[in-house]
Amino acid sequence: MTLASMYKLDYIQILDQHAQTNLNSSWVNDKGAWMTNVIIIFFIKFFFGIIPGISQELSWTLTTLTYNVGSYIMFHAVTGVPFEFSQGAYDGITLWEQIDGGVQFTATRKYLTAVPIALFFLNTHHTNYAPFAFFMTLIVTIINLIAKLPSMHQVRLFDINQKIDTGL
Amino acid sequence: MDNPILSALNQTFFTVSRVVEAVPGSEIVINYIKNSYQNDPFRVILELGLAIYAVKYMMSKKYRIDHTQVHLTEKEIDELIAEWQPESLVQPLSDIQRMELDKSQLIVGGQGPKPKLQATGKNMLNLASTNFLGYINNEEIKEKAIETLRNYGVGSCGPPGFYGTLDVHISLEKDISRFLGTESTIIYAQGFSTISSVIAAFSKRGDIIVADEGSNFAIQKGTQISRSNIKWFKHNDMADLERILQSIQKEGPGNKRPLTRRFIVTEGLFQNYGDLAPLDKIMELKHKYKYRVILDESNSFGLLGKTGRGVTEVFDVSPKDVDMIVGSMANSFSTAGGFCAGPKEVVDHQRLSGQAFVFSASIPAMLAVCSSEAINILEHGQNGQKLLKDLNENAAVFRNIVVTAPQAIEISSNAGSPILHLRFPKNALDAVGVTSRDEEKYLLQEIVDEVATKDAILITRAKYVDHQEQFLPRPSIRISISACHSRKEIEKAAQAIKGAFIKAASKRK
Repeated sequence: MTLASMYKLDYIQILDQHAQTNLNSSWVNDKGAWMTNVIIIFFIKFFFGIIPGISQELSWTLTTLTYNVGSYIMFHAVTGVPFEFSQGAYDGITLWEQIDGGVQFTATRKYLTAVPIALFFLNTHHTNYAPFAFFMTLIVTIINLIAKLPSMHQVRLFDINQKIDTGL
Repeated sequence: MDNPILSALNQTFFTVSRVVEAVPGSEIVINYIKNSYQNDPFRVILELGLAIYAVKYMMSKKYRIDHTQVHLTEKEIDELIAEWQPESLVQPLSDIQRMELDKSQLIVGGQGPKPKLQATGKNMLNLASTNFLGYINNEEIKEKAIETLRNYGVGSCGPPGFYGTLDVHISLEKDISRFLGTESTIIYAQGFSTISSVIAAFSKRGDIIVADEGSNFAIQKGTQISRSNIKWFKHNDMADLERILQSIQKEGPGNKRPLTRRFIVTEGLFQNYGDLAPLDKIMELKHKYKYRVILDESNSFGLLGKTGRGVTEVFDVSPKDVDMIVGSMANSFSTAGGFCAGPKEVVDHQRLSGQAFVFSASIPAMLAVCSSEAINILEHGQNGQKLLKDLNENAAVFRNIVVTAPQAIEISSNAGSPILHLRFPKNALDAVGVTSRDEEKYLLQEIVDEVATKDAILITRAKYVDHQEQFLPRPSIRISISACHSRKEIEKAAQAIKGAFIKAASKRK
């Protein structure tokens, strides 16, 4: 079974996608985008560190949770592009699937997969291997990582973001 | 150690550990790993699994998932390059292309009801150009045009959104809205691309369009670029249309999925067949199944109906009920451009997302003024009603003469339409021994040549981009009746064409 048949892609839709640069997803390759990702994690940690009632370990756990949930929503839950330029070529396609035109294992995708894993290891270190924190962050990180698997490309589970199929 | 394998393993183990200890900082790492065990092997295994997955992911090669890439070996690439022959810059003409090139006529002087050919120097009766109400030679319109030219210059120098909108454009939009009876109108620069742009501005990927099979090329291209799901119904077959609407309704959206936009696209007067769409039945179906109707009145606005308001007047349908009426001033008024009339929101949306509006220069001022003047003539001048009446009568006269030869001529146009398509009936073609489309074109061209040389009548075959049409119409001769021909001329022309058809159908037995 070829990759193409596995992914069930629509030829005309691919042509429309490749006709112009997708400005919605090309920023992830820009200079500074990767660094901004790390800086955002610092800011989240800082924000949670400032709130008086939260201990160090809890703030680390909250940072990891916030980052994973936030990046999941941004990359895997929201579909389409915010502006109209390709007659709906990106309808129903999440930002993760739009990156680099669907090519898997590019540098950006590897980086974006490495960040949750690195954050997870940092988290387990700083919470002194507490089991509850470990399991919470492990679950959230694994959900995030499953969404980034190449075999999950354009796969929709539980009818979330399901493509409207008018059956014609 | 008597076993040599065990001793070898032991040796490598010692060497590796000595190497690791030699690396500076390795003690910290080893101590940390020892501390992190924390009596919890399960957790360590999970973390190890995650680390191994991370490493595996980082080491993977990237690959594309679309099937447009073909991987060739070096040898195959070299072979392909070696055997490649460049195509010539100009392809040699095929026979039929050469015939079309040779038979194209050159007109000397102005266009009009009786143009003069360069080849023969004779004046021909023009039944080929779309000069339905005779506006090409209308003196009032010519004066207005010259006056506007002196005031505004020739071009409008820009797209309508970027300093290209003039006051005459606004007044033309108001004139068309008032004449048709809709809320507002938007003017496009080219009549052909208007309907494509309107369809693509409202119907997107995932929407449903139900279009007539006999639609013209512009509508087909419009539905193609809109990337919607298109269903074609048989030409003017209302039962087929209802069947398709019902089938779409049955498959319909589930409870969770949003309703997509649905459109019915049809023409008032069909450009390829000359017959009218049954607008009253279409409006019935539209209200029943909740669709929006895009009506292309490129060939009927200003020509049909008692006062020239188009197909909506013929069928007594309120123009406010039709969601979008698209028309062409190039066809009806012999000026240029097209328009889309409808409710205010519909028209305002097109000012930013009608591609032909945004990315094209607006029509020149004098053509806008000529269109306004043409509408004025239709509305107020007593000539206007006379022109429409003449057009109707001429069309009726022509048709009545031509229908008397059904064995040689097949007419697909309705009784009142000013566009007539004359085709050979199938059995006549079989009798003559014509089987292919090209041969049919040659046969029709003989008729065109004959009436041109013998009776000084200028007619034309309807031309199509054969390989791009979805439902290619049969070759035909397209007659455009004009109101400024006299009745006698029309009768003579009709008799001549009928004679030529009969002659062509009966030779080569």
